[in-house]
Amino acid sequence: MKFDDVLCPFCGCLCDDITVTAEGGRVTGVDNTCLLGTSKFLGDNRLKNPIMRTDDGWKDVTYDEAIASTLDALLEADRPLLYGWSGTHGEAQCIGVHMAELLGAVIDNTSSVCHGPSILAIQEVGHPGCTLGQVKNRADVIIYWGCNPTEAHPRHMSRYTTYADGYFLDNAFRDRTVIVVDVRRTETAELADVFVEIKPGGDYAVLSALRAMVRGRDEMIPDSIAGVSKEQLRHIVEICKNAKFCAVFFGVGLTMTRGKYKNVRNAIELVDELSRHTKATITPMRGHFNVYGSNEVNTWMSGYPYAIDFCRGIAFYNPGETTAVDILARKECDAALIVASDPAAHLPSKCIRHLANIPVVQIDPYPNMTTAFCNLQIPVAVSGIDAEGTAYRMDGVPIRLRKVLETEYPTDTMLLGRIYEAMMEVRGR
Amino acid sequence: MNLSVIWYLREFLSFEWVHKFLFVKTAPLTTPPYFRDYPLLTGKECTHCLACMMICPVPGGIEVLMTREDACHLPVTQSRPPGSDTWNPVIYPGHCIRCGLCVEVCPEGVLMSGRVIEFQFIDNTAFTSTFQLEVDHTLCMRCGNCSIACPVNKEVDPALGGGAPPSSMESVMLVTGGELKILNEDKCTGCKTCETACPNMAIRVVRQVEGIHQEDEEE
Ligand code: SF4
Ligand code: SF4
Ligand code: SF4
Ligand code: SF4
Repeated sequence: MKFDDVLCPFCGCLCDDITVTAEGGRVTGVDNTCLLGTSKFLGDNRLKNPIMRTDDGWKDVTYDEAIASTLDALLEADRPLLYGWSGTHGEAQCIGVHMAELLGAVIDNTSSVCHGPSILAIQEVGHPGCTLGQVKNRADVIIYWGCNPTEAHPRHMSRYTTYADGYFLDNAFRDRTVIVVDVRRTETAELADVFVEIKPGGDYAVLSALRAMVRGRDEMIPDSIAGVSKEQLRHIVEICKNAKFCAVFFGVGLTMTRGKYKNVRNAIELVDELSRHTKATITPMRGHFNVYGSNEVNTWMSGYPYAIDFCRGIAFYNPGETTAVDILARKECDAALIVASDPAAHLPSKCIRHLANIPVVQIDPYPNMTTAFCNLQIPVAVSGIDAEGTAYRMDGVPIRLRKVLETEYPTDTMLLGRIYEAMMEVRGR
Repeated sequence: MNLSVIWYLREFLSFEWVHKFLFVKTAPLTTPPYFRDYPLLTGKECTHCLACMMICPVPGGIEVLMTREDACHLPVTQSRPPGSDTWNPVIYPGHCIRCGLCVEVCPEGVLMSGRVIEFQFIDNTAFTSTFQLEVDHTLCMRCGNCSIACPVNKEVDPALGGGAPPSSMESVMLVTGGELKILNEDKCTGCKTCETACPNMAIRVVRQVEGIHQEDEEE
């Protein structure tokens, strides 16, 4: 069976033009996906059933047993942590927030280790953003700052920016100017018209200099800033000011280096400054396909995008205190539910060491690095392959994930729903 | 020793020899018509197809540059001022080895050198070129930059460049079946846009030139 216009559930580009061929309960072929998407669609080392760690290895258990032991772990805990959420659909994320409220738990998603700072900056100064459709049809200057779409969002350039023809751009890659700013010459830099090599940690200074120059305060800028010559900065300012529409994209190269959220704030303010001369927008390059959705769901349900602590009975948000990394590093957390992410692959080792000492339940279709220390792993249907749901693209546009396989596995929504219902029973609600 | 010196003097100081040396008539030194000099411009219009640049076996031998209109009659070896308005091949004598391939390959007869064109006409020979595309699947990310940017694909499937899913299998290449597949290599015009659009140097365009005898082709 062939399915057209399927969404790729891998990165924040959320490509929606995939053709999937499925036969005999397996995906047998995909068209239009990049390498990352292809491996996700064709990946087939799923867990068959829930597995529980015993003293001498793993034991297969039923879903009922798995749910019962998840309940035990979470209900007994004083300070449970519900972490992950970026690789599942919005409906399941909703249940997660309800669950956190019922348990008085901390709920956090992976944005606390990638684009959390971007959100802090946006909370301070706002977000002059737009959809990727606007970028594709209008933007004649594209800036990639501290990100390498070639590696992390392979189809970003061919679908939305450099190479995609738009309504007002017939010959996209001749008409668009691409500026790449990074600390090393990445693959994306090879495709840029202008490559700006910044010394590590110099982003804030360069952004400030650009702002000053856009304001016409050239004279106060020294000849070189963080390894970038004044000449080149002037060149960039000229390109941006003469653009019809300038779209800035930034990645963890900006959010996770020295200056963190202040960098992003400065970048937003540069966009603000540019908008006095032309139209300019800024968009974070969100990694997991639905990490944006997790921020959205959390925000509309609790008022905060991530790192929400319900231990007081009300939502409390204080990144740096209620973020997963801090709670684990302070060894506060005494049980964790990991949903659709792999913290072992991206949290600091100190946090992982603590996770290894507490009961950890993981809900994930595939064995991953977190499997190495979790006590129980429950496989589920994969959102976007055998489960439907809503996901948010990196520009905040919600799109419906499609289902291309029939499955025996419960979806995240079903499994979390059952756990949540059982919790309500125990808590007498 | 002494004897031979005397012998030489007697020979070369004779009136006959000296007269011959000074007044003998030899044929004047002219360039024979078959001499293949650095190619010259014929004045015909260059269409900027770059066939000459692509076939030149030496680096930096020939370049197609924007040159002044009225400069066409000048020998190509003279450099011309920039900022002019027609394309013309410019030969760099220090590099050119006068092989004449560029003269032979030019479809418009823009260049000439010796009897290259004449013999090409007599023998009825020509060059044809085809392009071979090679993808290194271990480097390719299937990002689709190349297939979106390819000008031939844009013509075959105009919506593709705008982000629509492919509607035709007539494109030169597409990301399909989990990899970048070359579907219609024969349509490639060798523009190398794909090569420049690839971030991973995964796609390579190879030009294969073949000399053909046109009579044979028609048979
Ligand atoms: S760019 Fe992202 S969403 Fe698109 S196919 Fe690749 S992994 Fe999937
Ligand atoms: S004559 Fe041969 S070497 Fe000289 S420019 Fe032409 S192709 Fe190149
Ligand atoms: S060389 Fe040009 S025509 Fe040939 S495949 Fe590449 S982009 Fe297309
Ligand atoms: S541009 Fe390069 S990496 Fe991208 S699909 Fe084409 S060959 Fe592969």
